[in-house]
Formats: sequence, C-alpha cells, structure tokens
Amino acid sequence: MNSEFIKIIAFTLTGGFLVFLAITIVRDNLVNRLNRITGAMLFFAGLGPLFMAMGMIVSQSPEASVGFKNSTLYNLQYVWELFFPFLLLFSWIFPENRLMGFRYSRLRNLIFLPVILHLFLLLFYRQISGLLGSLKVDANSEGFSRIILIPVERLFSLILFAIGSVRTYHTIIFELLNVLFILTAVYFLESSRRLVTNPRLLTQTRVVFKGIRIGLGIYLVSVIGPLFFQQFFTDAVTSILLVIASATGVGIFAYATIRYQFLDVRLHFRQSFVYTITSALLVGVYILLVLQSKKLLQPLFGAQTEIVSYSLIILILLCFQPINNAIDSFLRSIFIRTRTDHRSVIERFSRQVISLFDPQKLRQIIEETLKTSLLVERVYFILYDDEIEEYAVLLSDDFPRRLPLNRDDLLLRGINMLDSPTYLHSLTDYMENSKLAGVLQERGVRLILPMKDANHMLGFLALTGKVAGYRYSADDFNLLGVLSNQMVTALTNARLYVDSLERARLQEEVSMARQIQLDLLPSSPPTLETANISVHSTPSRTVGGDFFDFIRIDDQRIGIVIADASGKGMPAALMIAQIQAIIHSEVNNGNRISTMFNNMNQLIAEATSPEKYVTIFYGELDVTCGELAYCNGGHNYPVLARADGKVELLKTGGPLVGALPHMEYTSTSIRLNPDDILFMFTDGLSEAMDKDEHEFGEERIREMVSTNRSNSAQEIMDCILNDVRMYDPTYPPRDDTTIISLKLNDMLVPHE
Amino acid sequence: MRLADREQDGVIVLEPKGKIMGGPDATLLHDKLHEIIEAGKKKVVIDLSKVDWMNSTGLGILISSYSTLRKSDGELKLANVTEKIQSLLTITKLVTVFDAHDSVEEAISSFK
Repeated sequence: MNSEFIKIIAFTLTGGFLVFLAITIVRDNLVNRLNRITGAMLFFAGLGPLFMAMGMIVSQSPEASVGFKNSTLYNLQYVWELFFPFLLLFSWIFPENRLMGFRYSRLRNLIFLPVILHLFLLLFYRQISGLLGSLKVDANSEGFSRIILIPVERLFSLILFAIGSVRTYHTIIFELLNVLFILTAVYFLESSRRLVTNPRLLTQTRVVFKGIRIGLGIYLVSVIGPLFFQQFFTDAVTSILLVIASATGVGIFAYATIRYQFLDVRLHFRQSFVYTITSALLVGVYILLVLQSKKLLQPLFGAQTEIVSYSLIILILLCFQPINNAIDSFLRSIFIRTRTDHRSVIERFSRQVISLFDPQKLRQIIEETLKTSLLVERVYFILYDDEIEEYAVLLSDDFPRRLPLNRDDLLLRGINMLDSPTYLHSLTDYMENSKLAGVLQERGVRLILPMKDANHMLGFLALTGKVAGYRYSADDFNLLGVLSNQMVTALTNARLYVDSLERARLQEEVSMARQIQLDLLPSSPPTLETANISVHSTPSRTVGGDFFDFIRIDDQRIGIVIADASGKGMPAALMIAQIQAIIHSEVNNGNRISTMFNNMNQLIAEATSPEKYVTIFYGELDVTCGELAYCNGGHNYPVLARADGKVELLKTGGPLVGALPHMEYTSTSIRLNPDDILFMFTDGLSEAMDKDEHEFGEERIREMVSTNRSNSAQEIMDCILNDVRMYDPTYPPRDDTTIISLKLNDMLVPHE
Repeated sequence: MRLADREQDGVIVLEPKGKIMGGPDATLLHDKLHEIIEAGKKKVVIDLSKVDWMNSTGLGILISSYSTLRKSDGELKLANVTEKIQSLLTITKLVTVFDAHDSVEEAISSFK
C-alpha cells in the first residue's frame, strides 16, 4: 500500500460520505427548499474528492493517463465547483430566509453563471477556437470582405486570445472567484446568525458555521498557499488539506444533523444514516482484513498459512455479530443522549411537569419543550381565564398583558370542535369577523393545538412555523397530540392546586369571621336586679346568620336585640356586623326606635341586593319599671306570657329590614310586670322538623312558654330545648337557633 | 324547584314546584324574570299552590323578583299562597308589600 492508495481511499470515503449525507437530507424532505439546497451543496462538495480519487486511479495506469487531462471526463470534474454558488444560496436562506419577499428572486440563478461558463470553456474550448479561428480573410481581398470581414476577423482573434488566456489561467481565475463566493457566503451567514433567537437553532448554527468555517478555511489555505509558498505546497500537501477540509465539512454537518436536529431530519433517517456508514466501515475493515490476512500470516506460519488463515477468517466472522451489537448499542446511547427522540421528549416532559403546580412555570416548560424539541419558533397560550370567565390570549409571560376574547368568537368556536393539532389555514370557514383569527394571523400562527379534558376546552396553544422554515411532519403531529394530553393533565393539576390554596385561604377567612362574630356577641347575658335572662345560641354553620346583643343605654334602660340574617356563612355574618354597628351608633345618637329602623332599612337596602335582608326584633327595657318599647322588623313574634296565663305576641313594627327601600316602621310600648316571661327566638327553633317534615311551630312554643310560666327563665328554655330535641332528632338544626328567655321578678317597681 | 310558565290574558303566570331554597332556584327565577322583562312583559303572577316550603333565601328570591319587576315598571302578584307561606309573609309583614290573591284568575283580573 503506497501513499497514493491511501489518498484514493481517503478521497473516496469523504466524497462518498458527503454524497450520502446529501441524499439522506434530500430524501427526508424533498419539499423543503432548504433541504434541497443543502443537499445539492453537500452533493457537489462530495463530487470534488470523488473526481479527484477517480483521476488518481486513472493516472495510475500509464496508458490511460495519456491524454486524460484533456478528456471530457477529466474536465467534468469541475462540476463540483457548483458547490460554491449553492453555498452562497444556502447562506441566503439559513438560518433566516432572506430570499423571501425579494422581488427579483429569480435573479439569484445568475450566481451559477460563472461555473457554467467555466465548464463550457473547458468542454468546448477546442470547438470554439476551431470555429473562431476558421475565419481567414485574404489580405488582398477588396470591397465587402475588406470592409466587413477584416474587423470581424480581428474581433474574433481578440476574443480567441481572451478565451485562450482565461483557458490558460482558468484554475487560478476560478479559484479566486470561488474564494469570492466563500467570503460573500460567510458574510451572509454571520450576519443572519445574529437574528436567531431559538436556542436549539442557535446551537445548530454554531456547530454548522464552525464546520463551514474550518472546512472553507483549510480550502482557502490550499488554494492561496501555493501562490506564495510553492515549495511547501506540493501536490501531496494540497490533497491532504483538501481531504481534511471535506472530512471536516462532512463530519460537522453529519454531527449537527444527528445531534442537533439540523434541518429537522427525522430520527429514523438520521439513524439509518449513521448505521449505514458504520456498517459500511465495519464491512470494509473486514474485507480488508480477510484480503490481507494471508500476506500477514505468511512469514509467521509458513506452510500452515492456508489453514490458519481459514480458521482466522471463521473466528473473525464469529465475532462480527457481537461487534455489530456493541456498535449498535453505542449508537443507540448516542441517540438517546441527543434527547431528540420523541419518546424521550415525552418522558422528559412528563417528568418535569408531574410535580409542578405553578402555572407560569408550567407554561415556561411547555414553551421550552416545544421550542427545543420541535424547533417551534414561537408559542402562544390561549387559556380560560377564571377571573374574567372568558378565554384570553397570553401574549407573553414577561409582559403579563392578556387579550380577552369573546366566547362567541367564531374561530374560538371552531377550535372548540377540534380534537387534534390542526393547521390554522384549514379553519378559514371560521375566520370571518373573528378577532382571534386576526390576532393569530398577525403573529404568524400556523398550527392550533387544542387542550381538552373530558368535558371542556382548557384553551389551546397557537404555534408559529418551525425555525428556518422547517416543516411539521406526521411524527410532529403525533408528538403534539401526546404532549397536549400531558399539558391538560398538568394544567388541571396546577389549577386544582391553586384552587385548594384558595379554599384553605377562604377557610381561614371564615374562621376569622367566626372569631370576629364571637367577639361581637356578648359572652354572657347581663345580670339585672329585676330580671333573669338566659340565652341559647347554636350557629348551624361555622358562621351563622343569627345575632343577639344587649346594650346598656343608661342606668335604667337596656337594649335587647335578636336578629336573623338571610342566608348563612360569610355574607350573613358580614351583614350582622353591619347591623350591629348601625344599632350601636343609632343608640348612641339617641334616635327613636322607629327612626333607627327606618335608617337601618334604608342603609341595608341601598347597600345590598333585595335578597339580602334581616329580620330583627329590638326592645328597650326600663329595668326599674318594666316598660318595654319595641319594634319588630319582620321577626318571629316574641312571646309574652303574662303571670295570669294570658299570652301576647309582640308584632308591632314593619317588614323585614333591608329588602326594600322606603318601608315605614312604627314602635310601641308595653308594660311588663313581675313574673311575666318574655321569650324571644329565631326561626331555627320554630322550623325544627320531625321525620315527616312537620314543623315544630310557633303555636307549640307559645303553649310551652305559657304552661311552664311558673319556672325560671333558664328552666323554660331548657324545657323547650329538650322538647325540640325529641321532636327533631337531627337537632342542632339546619338553621341557626337563638333563644333569649327573660323573666321579671318582684324587685320590679311598677309605676302607677 | 321546577318552574313552569304560561301566558294568560297578557299576564305571565309562573308556577314553581317543590321547595324554593335559593342557590340554583334563585338563578332560575332570576333568568326567567329577565327573559320576561326583555320580552316587554310587565305583569307577572307567581302561582305558589305547588310550593310546599320556602326558607329565608327562598323568601329573598321572591323579594328580589318583586324588586326587579318594580324597577322596570312591572308588577308582581302572588296567587294561591299556602298557609305556611302566608304565615311567613305575615310574620315578616311582607303582606303589606306583596299583593296576594286566592286564585290565579283573581290575581290576573286585579291587574285591570
């Protein structure tokens, strides 16, 4: 094996790889111009070394090499120079397509003219020179030929001379032209690289540009070097440089394609590329070994060489499978590590989002996954916004402005019917007058990815095209479908988590409200000389709508409040607090009871909706003489059981408070006597129900108060509570229950 | 609660059935009333013959309906008020506010 042989092998290998890579890229996506241009570029780059290898093979046999340098076949090798215009074209559309929108884009084909001229010159020089040189004018001729033909002959010979000189120095002229191509292309590549934002595309360009720079740099050295250092740049050195240049090119392009999804070549194409090349290499090495085995073994084994060689071949063949497997698993691990395999994308994504509850972080991960794994240029989220109860476009998380959409938006309805990723342009039927359609088109959205759970649409993702004009493939659609399901789960989880936080916060609020209400209610009834007061209160929920209070107005009078606000829970409690504040301030202002009710009604009616009201009984008892001034605002009638067995109901007042404005309230005064009982309650007591849903009823309360009138205030209350517990086994009741039981004693000094 | 409605002599008669308890009942009646008002009708009778029970929220719904209609110059009357609801209206003294009649026909004729 001499050095010439090694050179041939090296040229063939690098050239072959380049051509093979070119075919792989074009085969993956014939439709995409970027793939076609890159493929053509690599193909012509591969032709160079291949032709060179061929030239070397031919020139090895002395008979064939004679005249070969002038043959058509030899000159065809310059076809490889088409690489340079294609490189320039590539620099115009990667990573940003600069040709788009350029009006005279057909003019770009002019860049192929120099190479075509070069080829034309080399292939047809003899014909041209023969044609031009065939015109010979007789120097002595007269008339027409003298006037017309002689200048033409001069012109022809001038052209011939020009073409001849170009022909003589064509190598150097066109090499300089190629250098010009290279410099222009590098300029374009570098300037459009600054426009790249997608991280994955940035990596691609970095790697690819590095390859281009190294490859071209070495090429430039091999072209320019011989001009200045003729002794050093021998043919051998130049060809070694060329091999290194093309090997670097193919290596880096293949690396970018396999590792960083350059050109978005599908996984199985990338895999098949690597497998084909490695198995070709493996088989090549095997054949070499087998062929050379006899020669290597001869000096060692002499006569036995034949047998040893056969057994060695068998041994080597036995090892083929394990070696192949080892290489196979090694390559597989490389592909898994590249994380571009769809399965690993899904796996990684679900691992990331499974324990993520922050919606904003979640959106970031979704966006990042789509951008790096699918090379999507931009992603927009359109999600249901719980606050405004409409869908809204989230333009950016950095700038949290959201664009609310009308739920009747035609396109939104159209998207609602989708189940899988769909191109926006296939939804044109839904775009008329749609604000959403305008927003999406303005932002270059191409693909809609709906996110639905079993019942409704959480929203959707709007994806623009991929970077560098790559197209969405069928595999991408599958991946997007699976990812959208994962997103739905993750988004729902995040939302539930936020809800549970909200609930916990509300619960805390309610318990705070309960504490406030407990603080508002008097802890125990006042102790009076002339009367005993007992109170019972069970709120049916954490915060109830019932309310009672005792207010010391002056030395003689005490205010008694019993009230029931409509509804329960927080709203009722808030209204109670408001009522309490109003009563206290009215009492402080010394207003009359009817005025107090008129004011209270007006304030509540204006501040709340009609279904928020309160029934309230308020009485002012003069504890020295037993006079009771009261007003009943729609509350259950308090029962006044006289010592003699007569029962009176305290009805005077007006309608329930706070429902309707401009109601009129009146108050009245009655005289209480020793041993009289005043029994006040809320509807939780009267509306207690037995198992047949019959109410306990006010009648029964009146009777029991009257029957037990000889007992103390506390005893009467306990007696009725025992009775209601037997009547309604579910007691404590559905509604709040509050009871105030008051009995006057003999200390009272009735005014005469 | 279920809600039936019909029109009789230019008067809308609403007939709720079951218990009026609030929550979804409120929304149901509220939406229906707005529908009626938007259709330009102003006279409404609520027939309570099939309402067996009403809690404080239910009463709130009635008041709210009354107030809604009043705001758009309409009028609400009640018919066939059961004993239980009658006593509720009496205690709360809403009898002075609501115009209650013994039958739907009587309520309708009271509009004239």
